[in-house]
Amino acid sequence: MTELRLIGGAAVAEPAVVEAPPVRLPPGRHGIPADIVRAHQRQRLLEAAAAALDEQGYGRLTAARVTELAGVSSRTFYQHFEDLWACLLAAYEVEAGHLCGEIESSCAALSDDDARARARAGIAAALGFLAEEPAVARLLSAEPPPQIAALAAARRDLVERLSAMLRDALAAAGPTPLPGLERRLVAAALALVSARAADGDPERLRALEPELTELLLASL
Amino acid sequence: MAMPARASAARKDAVAPGENDGAAGDVRERAMEGALVACGELGYRETSVRAILEQSGGHRAQFYKHFQSKEDCFARAYATWIERLCVSLLEAAATAPGWEAGVREAIVRLFQFVTARPAIGRALFVEVQIAGEPALARHDAVVERLAAAVDSARAEIDPAEAPPEATGAFVVGGVESCVAEALGAGDPDRLWDALPELMHFAAGSYFGKEAAEAAFERAGEMLERERARLTGVER
Repeated sequence: MTELRLIGGAAVAEPAVVEAPPVRLPPGRHGIPADIVRAHQRQRLLEAAAAALDEQGYGRLTAARVTELAGVSSRTFYQHFEDLWACLLAAYEVEAGHLCGEIESSCAALSDDDARARARAGIAAALGFLAEEPAVARLLSAEPPPQIAALAAARRDLVERLSAMLRDALAAAGPTPLPGLERRLVAAALALVSARAADGDPERLRALEPELTELLLASL
Repeated sequence: MAMPARASAARKDAVAPGENDGAAGDVRERAMEGALVACGELGYRETSVRAILEQSGGHRAQFYKHFQSKEDCFARAYATWIERLCVSLLEAAATAPGWEAGVREAIVRLFQFVTARPAIGRALFVEVQIAGEPALARHDAVVERLAAAVDSARAEIDPAEAPPEATGAFVVGGVESCVAEALGAGDPDRLWDALPELMHFAAGSYFGKEAAEAAFERAGEMLERERARLTGVER
């Protein structure tokens, strides 16, 4: 996951990619431009939202826990987001974009003619990304509360995008037998991913690749 | 109570021994049903003990004699009702002639249950994901049992062409997500139109494209022929 590196109090001109967990900015006067500070806070809040969901589940999730994990004040939280669900929605949309980007770039180098190879590469890239980020895997795969309409819609959008990718990947192999079947297959795949993500072993998630490829292609 | 007829026979087994007798058992049973209805209607996060009691009747003192909290009540209610439903689905499958008819009959019974009791369906298929543990662990165990039953398809498949190990869980997850989606959208009746597609999905996962198409056709014909009986609604 990308993150702004702002350790040590020096002003940072551009974002850097680091593997470390979110860190707080140095307190007090540090000369870091306000927009960088703001972007960094937002990034920490998005990462903290996924981590808090992983820890508490939808049933117990609170904005207080998100701010605590992000290391920001409650006031800062509400400067960025209207409420807990707006924060979680932002995290969901960013990570759904990352997941789709990983899949697209894995398929980009492969020939359009080899539908199976494209599907396999996309599935491996998706599982690899989710295994690297277990909290993100749970965020993207778990069913959100239907009462939070925007979040439920974001999940439906992700299912649609993944279904369209599966359809496109297989287009060279001929038309799919049933309109909407890809959607059912993707939803079933997300249920499997959700169960594997919940048991906390990223390697089991990665190991799903050959099975998932076969299952997604079996009836197409 | 509009549970499937066969499920009611399993009810005694699903309630802990000594807790289903007499008035205390009734209070407990009503509170559990009230918890599921309240969670299905209001959402798990918005449900309070007061909301449960508004559904079930009874007093707070009686509630706390049986349950520690809303969370505890939901977890026990979920365990009891999902067990009954699971037994009912397995029975529907077991009495049908062959794998495909068994899966279709189990899905029909599932649809009949969630369309008759949509609030409880929402609690069992949507809100359980929000409630988390320990209900979710029970959910996973039920998925495993149903997946093992669906996996009986392997008896009809050449071992050299055996489908992946996760196929049973994949099929159950696909059916469950379809149900959750319709219930989450507040429109369980639309499930009936998804029956042929689900049969295509289930048969295709084990037997491939041709079997999927045949299962799709047969489910469509059954729906055409027996919709009124299945759904209880004249077209």
